[in-house]
Parts: sequence; C-alpha cells; structure tokens
Amino acid sequence: MNTLNSSSAPAAGEYAGDEVAAIVLDPGYSTIRAGFAGEDVPKSVCPSFYGQIDSDSGSQYLFGENAIHTPSSNLQIKNYWGSDGIVEDWDTAAKVWEYAITSRLTGARAGDPAKNGLNDGPKENGNGDAMEVEMETIENQEKPLEESPLLMTEPGWNPTKAREKAIEIAMEEWGTPAFYLQKTGVLAAFASGKASGIIIDVGASHTSVTPVLDGMVLKKGVQKSPLAGNFVSNQIRLGFKQSQPEIPLTPHYLVKSKTPVDAGTPAQAIYKTFNIPPTDSFRHYQEERVLTEYKESVVEIWPGPGRLSNGTNDEIAKSMPGRPFEMPDGWNQVFGVDRFRAAEGLFDASAAITDDANPRPKDEHTLPRLVQAAVQQVDADQRPLLLQNIVVTGGSTLLYKLGDRLNYEINALYPSTRNKLIAPGPVVERKYAAWIGGSILASLGSFHQLWISKKEYEEHGANIVEKRCR
Amino acid sequence: MPAFKDEQIIIIAPGSETTVAQLGLPESFTPARLRVRSRMFPAEKPGEWEPYKIRRRNDKPEAPAAEPQDRAPEGAVSKTNGTEDAVYEEDRVSEEGAVWPIQEGKIVDWSCFFALITHVYNALNPPFHTPILLIAQPVWTPKEHEKLTQFFFEKFKTPAFGLMDAALASSWAYGVHTSTVVDVGKDKVDVTAISEFIPHVQGRTSSLAGCGGEALTQSLFAKLAPRSWSREMCEQLKKSPICEILPVGTPMPGTKEAGEEENITNPAAAASTGAPGSGPAAAASIGNIPRGPGADTEVGDNDADEEGVLDVASIVTGGKMEEYLAKKEKEKLEKANAKKKGGTDAAAAANANKPIRLPNSRREKATFFYEDHRLLDNLKNMNLGSERLAEMQVQLDEGPLRHGEGANGEVTSAAEANASVDAGNANSRSGPIRRELEVGTERFMGASNGVLERIADAVHRTISSVDEVNKRSELWDSLIICGNGSKVRGFKEALLSTIQAKYLISPSSATMFTSEIPSNISTPTGTGANTPQPQFGPHGGAPSHVNPLLYAATTAQTQHLMPHNPTSHLPGLSHNAHSSHGQTPTSIKLVKPPEYFPEWKDVGFDESAFLGAQVAAKVIFVVDQGQSKGYMTRPDYNDQGPTGIHDYAL
Repeated sequence: MNTLNSSSAPAAGEYAGDEVAAIVLDPGYSTIRAGFAGEDVPKSVCPSFYGQIDSDSGSQYLFGENAIHTPSSNLQIKNYWGSDGIVEDWDTAAKVWEYAITSRLTGARAGDPAKNGLNDGPKENGNGDAMEVEMETIENQEKPLEESPLLMTEPGWNPTKAREKAIEIAMEEWGTPAFYLQKTGVLAAFASGKASGIIIDVGASHTSVTPVLDGMVLKKGVQKSPLAGNFVSNQIRLGFKQSQPEIPLTPHYLVKSKTPVDAGTPAQAIYKTFNIPPTDSFRHYQEERVLTEYKESVVEIWPGPGRLSNGTNDEIAKSMPGRPFEMPDGWNQVFGVDRFRAAEGLFDASAAITDDANPRPKDEHTLPRLVQAAVQQVDADQRPLLLQNIVVTGGSTLLYKLGDRLNYEINALYPSTRNKLIAPGPVVERKYAAWIGGSILASLGSFHQLWISKKEYEEHGANIVEKRCR
Repeated sequence: MPAFKDEQIIIIAPGSETTVAQLGLPESFTPARLRVRSRMFPAEKPGEWEPYKIRRRNDKPEAPAAEPQDRAPEGAVSKTNGTEDAVYEEDRVSEEGAVWPIQEGKIVDWSCFFALITHVYNALNPPFHTPILLIAQPVWTPKEHEKLTQFFFEKFKTPAFGLMDAALASSWAYGVHTSTVVDVGKDKVDVTAISEFIPHVQGRTSSLAGCGGEALTQSLFAKLAPRSWSREMCEQLKKSPICEILPVGTPMPGTKEAGEEENITNPAAAASTGAPGSGPAAAASIGNIPRGPGADTEVGDNDADEEGVLDVASIVTGGKMEEYLAKKEKEKLEKANAKKKGGTDAAAAANANKPIRLPNSRREKATFFYEDHRLLDNLKNMNLGSERLAEMQVQLDEGPLRHGEGANGEVTSAAEANASVDAGNANSRSGPIRRELEVGTERFMGASNGVLERIADAVHRTISSVDEVNKRSELWDSLIICGNGSKVRGFKEALLSTIQAKYLISPSSATMFTSEIPSNISTPTGTGANTPQPQFGPHGGAPSHVNPLLYAATTAQTQHLMPHNPTSHLPGLSHNAHSSHGQTPTSIKLVKPPEYFPEWKDVGFDESAFLGAQVAAKVIFVVDQGQSKGYMTRPDYNDQGPTGIHDYAL
C-alpha cells in the first residue's frame, strides 16, 4: 500500500473511515465490561452478580452495583455463570447484559423522536408533520441496541449452543444491526499489539491459557482450570478457618461501628441486628469484598526461585516482615508466612490448603502445567514465537509478584527459548485487556466486512456464527 | 475564533429539585442568580409546557377586572378571554400537577426537560453568541450527552457548548485534583472518585437511589405520620434549622438527661415562640422561655384537637372554615390577653432564662413555621374573590409578622423567610400561610433509615474500586460532601463520623514497634519537637511539620547529636513505599472549602458544582480559548455532529 498522503482523505473502510458507534461487550464472571468501540476503557463495568428477591408474586431482579449491597431479608445474590465457565442462566444473562449497556451507555430506550423535543420546529408550525411519523417509529424504538453493532467476547471453550444463543439474543432481543463474536484470548493479544502469543488469563472463576497464531485461536491448545481468583479467596477462607484460634470473617454490613483493639484479640464492635438475617448468598458476596481487600493488601505470591515449600524458602518467607490487616469489625493481625500460602496453590497443587469439602486441586490445573499443556499442542517450530509473546491478563494476575513467579516457572520449563512475559503495567489494561482488544478491533475500518449483518442472520439462522466467527 | 467574554457565558446546572443558572461570570464568583424549581406544568396542548401553573377560572370576568392590578394575588398576569368567559391566571407558588423531568438525576421526560431548559434560557434573556456550559449529572449516558448537544446547538444556536461532569465541577471548586465527591441530591447520591482531575468512571456510584434529601423527608414522615403530619410539613421541617442529624453515638435529648430538663422542656413552654423576635431565622436559638401565665393558652396546635388543626386544608375544603376562624380568633384574643397580662413577667422571665438556652441538639422539643401551600391552593380553588382570599390568608397566618406589625407586614421579610420559593414570589403581596408547628425528638431521626450507612458503603465501594491502589489513601483523605441534600444541619458531620466509625483502619498494635510502619502515625523522635500527629498534610505523605528530606539531611550529618531511634527513618517515605500494598483508609478527612470566594462562603458550598463550573467556564472559554478542547464550537458540531461531543467534554 502506498504511503499516507496528508492531502488526500482516507478511503472509506480504512481507519474507522465511517463512524459506527459499535458497542463492545465483554462479560466475565465477576464483572461485565461494556463500552463504545474506539475508547480506551469500558465506560460501563457492572457486577455479574445480581440480586433476586422471591416473593409470592414472582421473582424480582436487581441489577447493578447500587442494588445488591443493601442487606435485606430475602435478597439472594446469584450469578448467571455456570461452574464450567459457560453461561448457565441465559434469561438473566441477557437482562444483566442489557442493564450494563443501557444503564451507562445508551440510556433508557430512546423515546419517540416526534415527542423528544428535538424535532420541534421553530415555535408554531412544529406540530403538524410530527404526528405522521409517530406511528411508524413506535415499533422500531422498542429495542435497546437498534443503532449499534455489537461485538461480544466469549471464552475459548464456548460451545456452539452458547454461541448461537448469544447471536440470537443480540439480534432478536436487542435488535442489533450487526454482530460479531470473538474469543477473549485473541482480543487480549490485540490489546497488547500482538497477533500471535500465549495468553494467560487469570480471572475470577477460571484461568485459561490460549495459544493464538496470527489472530486465530488454536482451539485444541486452549487450556482452562478453576484455579483462579475465587480459588484464592477460598484458600484464604480455609486458612482463616484452620488458623488457631479461628479468624473471624465479618462483612461490613454486620458492623455498625468498630473500636480499635490489640492485634489478635477479639473484636469489640457494635453489630447491627436484623430481624431476619440476610441470606447466606448475600453474606458470601459481602465477605468476598473483604477478601478482595485482603488479596489486594496482604496476599503475596512467593516470587521464586523455587516453590514456597522448596528448601529454605519457607524460612525466608517467615523472616519477611508481615503485613497487618484489619477486619471490618476491628479484629486485626499481622500476617506473616500465611499470606504467601493463600495463592501458592495456583502454582503448586500440593501446597494448597485443603479440607474435607475442598480436596487437593489437580496438578495439571496449576499455571505452569497449563502453559506446558498449551505449548505442547503447538507445532514445535511455532513454539519459540509464542513463548516470546506471553501475554498476562485478568484481574487476578494483579496478585502481588505473580508476574515474577510466572517468569521463573516458565523459564524453568523452557530454559532454551527466549521467553518474554508481556504484563501491561496499568491496572486497567490488565483487568480489561479483552475489552480493549475488542474496542480496537471493532473500530478498525477493515473489520467492517467481518460483521454478521442482520440480513445474513435472517437468511442463514443462528448457525452462521459458527461459520463466520472462528 | 475570538475569545468569549466573561459576561457572555451561560452556565446551567439542572437538578432534580432545583435548576440553577447564570448569565455572565462576575468578577468574584457568586452563587447562581437564577434558581428555578425543576418542574413544568403541562399546557393545554399535549407536549407543550408552561413554567407556572395556569388556573382557569370560569367565574364572571368582572371580578379581576374590577380589582386594581397591584392587588391581584401572586402578581398574576390575568387576562380575560373574550369569547369564553374563562380567566387564565398564573399561579407562581402552586405546584399542583407539576411534572418533574429529572428524577434521581436521570432525565425521564425529555420534552419537559427541554421545555425547562428553554424556560431557563429565556429567563436569562441572553444576547446573541453566548457559549453555554451545562453541568451534567453523572448518571447521564453518552447517548444522552449527544442528545443534549444536538438540542443546545440546534435550539439555541449557541456558538460553543460544553458539558461538565458535576462531580468534576465540585473538585474544581475545591481546587483539588484528587478527591472523592459525595453529591447528595434529592432522591439520589452520586459518589465519584476523581484522581488527577479525571473521574474514575468504572467504579463510580451514580444515582444511588433512596439516599438523598427526599429519603430524609420520608424518614421524618414515617416518624411523624402517626401524628398526622403531611409529607410537606416534614419537608419543611427538614429545611428548618431545628432539624438536625446527630453524629453517631450522640444521645437523643430526653433519653438521659430528660430528668433535669423536664421542667423547662414541657411542650407548653416550647410552644411559646410568640415571643417577639422569634421567627424561622431565629428558630435555631429559640430558648425555652417559660411564659408563665400565658403558656397553657397557646398550645392550640398540639393538644386534643391536633388532627383537626394540622389539616387545616381539609377543614377549608370541608366548608367548616367559619367555625375554624372563629375558634382561632378566640384563641388569638386569649393569647393577646395573656400576653398583656404576662407581658412584663415574660420579659423578665426571658431575661432570666437567657443563660440556660440550650443548643438545639439538647432540647427535646422545638417549633418552626410551616408554610401551608396546600391550604393556599385550596383557598384559591374555592374561587374566592381576591379580597376575601387575602383576608383569609391574613387570618390564617401565624407567622411572626402578624404578631409584629399586623396584617400588612413587609413583603421582603416574608420572602426572606421563604427562601426556597421562586424569586417570582418576592414581589407578591402576601406569602404563603404560615403556621407554627412543634416537634419532638423525631426531628433528629431524619437519617434513622440507614441512609448514612448506605452512603458510607457506597463511598467505600467506590474508593475500593479505584484501580490505582496507591491513590486510595489520598482519596479517603479528600472527601467532598456537597449537594443540596446535604444541607440538613449536621448531615456532613454525621456522614463523616459514620464513615469513620465503620471503615477507619487503626494502626495495628502488632506493627507499632517494628520498622514496618503501616500506620500514618509519625514516630516521635525523642527530641520533644515532634508530637505524634495522626494526620498528614494534603498529600498524605510526609508529616506536615517536618520536611522529610531536611530531616534526613540533618539527622545524617548530626547523628551523634540526635538520640538514635531505629524507627525514625523517614516515616513519610516508608509509608509511601508500602502504600501500594497497604490497607486503606488510615485516615478520613473532608476537604476544606476554598477561602477565596467570599460570596459563596456565606451560603455554603453545597452547590459547589456550580462554583466549579464557573471556574471551569472562565478557564475553558476565556483563559485558554479552546486550547484544552473543553468545549465544542459550532463549526465542530457542523463537522462532527452530536457524537463529537465526547471528544470535548471535560
């Protein structure tokens, strides 16, 4: 292609030559990211958790951050994701997604243009012709995404059925004019400016390792495991339970006010009383907030060399200064070596804290083994290329020193290649990498030919997604 | 493009309850000149709106015609329709049937909203070529921004238009680059974390419903409804200075020290605000002056016939007006007699009692003046002649004016007492009818329905969602509580104390004496010069009283002179080094309001968003003339259309 000439306009279909205002939707287990293509961060980040209040007159659903943190007697907190990393409850999923899009991006469904005041003519003569338009617009204005093409992300292991369901919702419920489905792995690679690489994505419910070659996912190489953020939370809970004395985990909503106490002594807080205590799921979700804080400020991953259990590493970890943590009820303690143990299970299955209900995780689910398995599936001559581009993404990769450890583990596995970890510094780019990649992709002019248009969908049915989105 | 001039700039800040606007930036920034209730009335044609209630009267047209124009109620513009015998009259006080286009910050009725903006624009009466800066509610979506852009450019033909986030505007007003803005509105609360002048969009809590001023009113209403108070009464109680929100842990008056106060806080005594000099403005300092002989005759409002008296409006419509008035007249006479009788006594008692005047928060009961709009509405709907109406109004009014100088009291003071009503009311001859109400400790229970805790939780959530972990402690240290919902006395202090009681992380005793100092307590060096200061300067870093570098330099060179102290290695720096990995908040503070806006200081900084917008307007329109792309010009709009606004919004 010839060089860009500043005096000639870019050709249509090139460099976002035409404005499309596409929406990018990146649903995850913990949050749903949505925003306009071409922007650098998603404008709307909504929890995937939703509230449900069952009553005799049917269930009431509560969506969004504001609604699900107020304790109420029969409020249950649920998530539409299944335990296998595939959407389970499609009906609610569609509602939550719609909420994520409409609440922060498009606003409530657009009003009738004849009445929204924009088309009022100057003073007197405005009224006459407006009435005729009214009837025909009413039907079209029902759907929320009438004007915006939608790019959605999916996990690498999404089955055909789920993909077809996604396009069905987008086309029929939301009325989007064009749709495309892309795997998170590819998009995360795009966000880092790579077309090929290995994408390590440690999310809330799942960790996945996706080999990507020239923008295409090597499907048989995709690895997933349940050892991710939620697993770490669970490890912390187990650690609290097994410590002597047991460490109480009190969520914020139970506490009215707290008073400072000495480390390790029982809390002296004033607790709130509820006539009917909120449901277990609500408490669990609120406890999770405390655990998130704990993960952010206390948990550290043993950076290597070697595992935490190797040789004298344990001793070294013990001698490192502890970090204090205060619970919402004022109980506080300094955590020493315990803070290294919480996440060690991600790398070393035998180091995971276990009890009867939580058996030892499988060895092949640990991060190094996932990478190994993924690389195994790739042609030997492609491996060095991929190992040069290891993209680290996902909210749980923000665990302190996870990058150092990963670097050590991968170099131990592949000592002869040049391994390079690409872990973007800014937190936003880590958390929202797949969304950012989607935003880049959907704003490219050359991407427009890939959209599945409404017409094509109507002609070929939902199965078109299998043919077009690979 | 030539620069805009200060006097050309329009700033509009729409709100759920009040929309404020101003044309021109004064030399020293003042609170908004134009205040309009954010509501419109449907006109006769659907889809059209009127700024004031239009009453249609079908009585004989000679009644208003016969009256001199200046005697017409509410300064109404009456016009007689020749063909029908209908009289249309603008009623500037009444709010019957009003439509409020903004609810919980969201624009719910666009046509009404646009009509409101047009009304505001026309009321400002701007010359040509006025740039407009609109303060945007956080809950407005990008698509709605586009809609607004289209409206402003195409309706007003404005040469330049800017949108500014309300939270960001508040932080401009306070002049801080990093802050957490808690904007308490009518039905909602917005919590926004702003770092380096950039609002953190992902985690912001926008339009947290049921937490604003309205929730306080509802809470009061729930408490007082059994005493047959109306919502409107509670609303006015909330705005009166006797309503207060007490900080966490403050005992209600009458719970502990009830014993010794019983003698002066009996209801009869508290009701006796007929004393000269009392009024809504002075209500805060109303003493409990026992009026001795006259006291028991003055408590008509709260004894046996309470219901009847409270709901005067229904008495009026029920046709028992004459009876009621007769009764009142009798009471008044008695009162006057009592006053005469006890006049000297009372004066003496008042003097004697002055020293024991209690602050509002310790008194069990207090009174305030209630403006009965519904009663006035009912009177008007009864199709009385204006003469009669005015008479009734005077008879029913219990405000201080009547006690003072009789029926034809000065209008200005009436308007002062009624600051919340339109400016249009100021030149009306007679204000709303005022009645005196008494309330007990319920007035402290405005926030008893957990409003403060929900807001506190939202603040915690918002700050916890900020990705830059090391920014969080600074965000906690710079809270801004603004919005008219936070105007209730004591609200800010109570909210701050709620947040502190729940979320403040105290220094762990286990790390107190190690070299890891997670707390922000600066360690005493043993020189005696440093007293432990649990608070840091504005940037949360080094202790404010010692420059850490200076300290390091001096201690390094004069090691032998200073007592050796292993824990004193630059506490500020060690704090910073670990702040990216430490729990927050270790301190929670409000930002001090700016000192250099004298006009704003008087009224308070509740509408700081407007002040911030003034500062921003000055900067983007005048000072840097579009360099910072703070606004969209008309050529830009013609090129890019409404979607272009996203490149310009501040």
